[in-house]
Amino acid sequence: MISLRHVSKSFDGGRHFAVDDVSFDVREGETLVLLGSSGCGKTTLLKLTNRLLEPTSGTIEVDGEDIAGQDPISLRRRIGYVFQGIGLFPHMTVAENVAMVPRLLGWPPPQRRERAHELLRIVGLDPKIYAGRFPEELSGGQQQRVGVGRALAADPAYLLMDEPFGALDALTRDTLQQELLALKERLKKTIIFVTHDIFEALALGDRIAILHAGRLEQIGTREEVLKKPATDFVRALFAKPAQQLAAYEGML
Amino acid sequence: MAGDSWIAFVSERLPELWLRTGEHLMLTGISTGMAILIGIPLGICAARIWWLRGPLIGVVGILQTIPSLAMLAILLALFQKIGATPAIIALTLYALLPIVRNTLTGLQGVSPAVLEAARGIGMTSRQRLWLVEIPLSMPMIVAGIRTAAVVSVGIATLSAFIGAGGLGQFINRGLALSNTDLILLGAIPAAVLALIVDGSIAASQWALRRKRSRGSRFRAAIDRTLRPVALALPVVLIVAGCFAYLSMGTSSSNPAWGPSAANRHTVRIGTKNFTEQLILGELMAQLIEAHTDLRVERRFNLGGTMICHSALKSGEIDLYPEYTGTALTAILKQFAIADPDRAHETVAREYRRRFSADWLRPFGFNNTYAITVRKSDAASRNLRTISDLMAISGTLRAGFTAEFSERPDGYPGLRRAYGLQFREVRDLDPGLMYQAIANREVDVICAFATDGRIAAFELQPLRDDLGFFPPYQAAPVIRTEVLETHPELRQVLDLLAAVLDDATMQRLNFEVDEKKHRPSDIARKFLEGRGLLEKEK
Repeated sequence: MISLRHVSKSFDGGRHFAVDDVSFDVREGETLVLLGSSGCGKTTLLKLTNRLLEPTSGTIEVDGEDIAGQDPISLRRRIGYVFQGIGLFPHMTVAENVAMVPRLLGWPPPQRRERAHELLRIVGLDPKIYAGRFPEELSGGQQQRVGVGRALAADPAYLLMDEPFGALDALTRDTLQQELLALKERLKKTIIFVTHDIFEALALGDRIAILHAGRLEQIGTREEVLKKPATDFVRALFAKPAQQLAAYEGML
Repeated sequence: MAGDSWIAFVSERLPELWLRTGEHLMLTGISTGMAILIGIPLGICAARIWWLRGPLIGVVGILQTIPSLAMLAILLALFQKIGATPAIIALTLYALLPIVRNTLTGLQGVSPAVLEAARGIGMTSRQRLWLVEIPLSMPMIVAGIRTAAVVSVGIATLSAFIGAGGLGQFINRGLALSNTDLILLGAIPAAVLALIVDGSIAASQWALRRKRSRGSRFRAAIDRTLRPVALALPVVLIVAGCFAYLSMGTSSSNPAWGPSAANRHTVRIGTKNFTEQLILGELMAQLIEAHTDLRVERRFNLGGTMICHSALKSGEIDLYPEYTGTALTAILKQFAIADPDRAHETVAREYRRRFSADWLRPFGFNNTYAITVRKSDAASRNLRTISDLMAISGTLRAGFTAEFSERPDGYPGLRRAYGLQFREVRDLDPGLMYQAIANREVDVICAFATDGRIAAFELQPLRDDLGFFPPYQAAPVIRTEVLETHPELRQVLDLLAAVLDDATMQRLNFEVDEKKHRPSDIARKFLEGRGLLEKEK
C-alpha cells in the first residue's frame, strides 16, 4: 500500500503550491488514476512517490514505511516507472533497455537475457525480432511497450505510469490500454496511472482521483465520480465529454 | 627541381623522413593522449559543476589563443629545458580546448527525457554518467579528439624550434637554408599525416558505433573483419611511429629525443637556425668526431639566441657557436664594446661567473650586421657609408629581421646614432630578406656581413662609418663542466681558431645558401682541404 498524508510541494518557497495538502491511499492491487489537466500537480505527485522530488511537507509511506528515511536509489529500483517521454536509452538494444534494472541490481548476464526475453513476450514483442534492435528502429507504440517492459523488469510491486500513452495515436493507445488491463489482471500490480484523458481514466482506473490546482477534488470509483461528483469542478469535468459524446452520436 | 632529382632528393633522406615522421607521431600521440586523459574529466566537471563551467572554458580558451611560438618560449623559460617535454606540454594544452568543449557540449546535449528515465529507474549519479551520459556524448567527444589530433599534427611542426624533432625539423632547416625542397619535405608529409590521423580516428569511431549492420551476409562478414582493424588503427599508427623512431633513430645520426645522451661520452652540440650556425656546428662536430672518442649529438636548428642560451644553461646542450656582440647586448644586457679582444675577454669573464660556461678562441670572422643596399642603388645614388643614407632615408623602405628591430644594438640604436627615419620598416624572416631586396620589395636590409648572398644577389654593404655596430666574433661557448671532464676539447676546437676569415665564411655560406650543398658536406670539404681531419702525429 502507498499512503500519502497531507503532502504538499512548492517549487517557489511557499508562494504557490503545485501539490497542496493531498492525502489518499493506493490499495494493494488496484489501479488508481490521477486525473487532471496539465499543471494540476499529478506528475509532481508521481515523482514525489519515488523521491525524484521531495515533498515540502507531509509524509509518503510505501508498505507502511516512510520513504523519507529510505535510500532513494533502492526505492526507485523497487518501484517501476513508465515515463511520459518514454526515455529509452538510444545507445542500447531493446533487450539491454529492458534488462537495465536487473543489471543495476547485479543480476548475472544470462539471467538478465532470459528475463529480457520473458518481458518482451509479456509486453507483446517477439524477442527473436526485437531483442537486438535499437529504439530508433521501433514505432512509438513499440517503444512504449519496451518502456513498460523496463518498468516491470525487477518485478516491482508498484508501477508508476506518467501519461505513458499520451503521445500515441488513438488506435495504438486503445490497443495498449486493453493490453495494460489484461496485464494488470495477470501480474497483480498496484498501479498509479497519471492521465489528462477522461476516457482513459474511466477505462483503466479502479478508482479515480481528480486533481485541480494542486488539490484533491474527489477520489472514488468511476460510478462515484460520475454519479456523485463531490465538487462543481468534478461535475463540470465529466459533463463536458458527455455533451461531446451526445453530439457525436447525433451525427451518426 | 626536375622529377628525377626530386626523387633522389627524397630517397636520400628517406631514413630521416621516417625518423621525423615517427617523432611527429609520438609527439602528436602522447600529447593527444594526455589531453584526452585530462580533457574528458575536465569536461565532465564543467558539465556537472555549473559554477566551474565559465572559468574552466575561459582558461582553456585563453590557452588556445597564446601563439604557438610564444607558448613554446614560455614553457622553455618555465622548465629550463628544451626537447620533447615542453613541446608535449604545449601540444597538450592546445589539444585541451576542443576535447573539453566537446565533452561539455556532448553531455549537455543528452536528452532530458533519457536522463529522467535514468534517474527514475534508480541509477546512481555515477551509473548515469558511465552507462548513459558518456556513451551518448561519445560521437561529440570523438569529434573533439579528432580536431585536437589534427591541430596537434599541425602545431607539432613548430616543436622543432626547441629541438623536439618531428617533421618541423625539415621545415626549420629549409627556412634556415632557404631551401624550398626541404620545407616541402616537412610540410607535405605533415599534411598527409594530419589526414591519416584524422582518418584513423574516424575509422575507430565507425568501429565503435553500435548499429546493426544491415544488408547481405557478405557485407556483414566484411563488417565483422574490418571492425577490429578499424578500432585499432590509431594505436597501430602510434606504435608504427615508435617503431619508425626506434629503428631509424639508431641508424640516423641525430634523433631529437629518446635514449638520453646526457652521459659522459657524448657531446651535444647546438646551433641557432641559420646557415652559418649549421656550418659552424658541423665543423665542430666533425672535428670532435675525428680527434676524440666522444660521440657527438647534433641538436641543431634551435629557434634563436635565447633558446640556445637557456639550453646551454640547463645543460641540454654542451656547446654552441655564439657571437661576442650578441652575448654582450642580448644576453648580458651590457653596452657594446668596440674593441674585439676586450669584447671577447668581457663575455668570457661574465659567462664563467654567471653561467659556468667558457668562451673558446674565436673562429676569426666578424659577422656583424651590415646595412646593405642593392649595388645598382649604391652606384646611382653614390652610397658608400651608412651616413650617406641619412639624407635619403625618408624615401627608402627597410626590411629587418624581427630580432634586429628589437635589439638595442639593432635598429633602435642605429636610428639614434645615424638619425635615420625610413619610410617603412618591415619585419622579415632572415631567409626571405635577401629575396625581398633583390625583388625590390625593400631597399635596405640588415644583412649579416658573412652572408654569401650579399655577393650572390649583387648587394652592397655600407661602411659603418660611425662605428655603431660592435664586433660579432663567433666562438664556441662550452659548459665549464664539460670542458673540465674533457679538457682535450679545448685543443680540438682551437684547431678552428682564426682559420675562418670573413671571406672564407662568406664563401662557405654561399655554397650552402645558393649552391644548395649540405652544411655537413661543405664542412667536411673545408676541413679536408685544410688537413684538419688528419690525426696529429
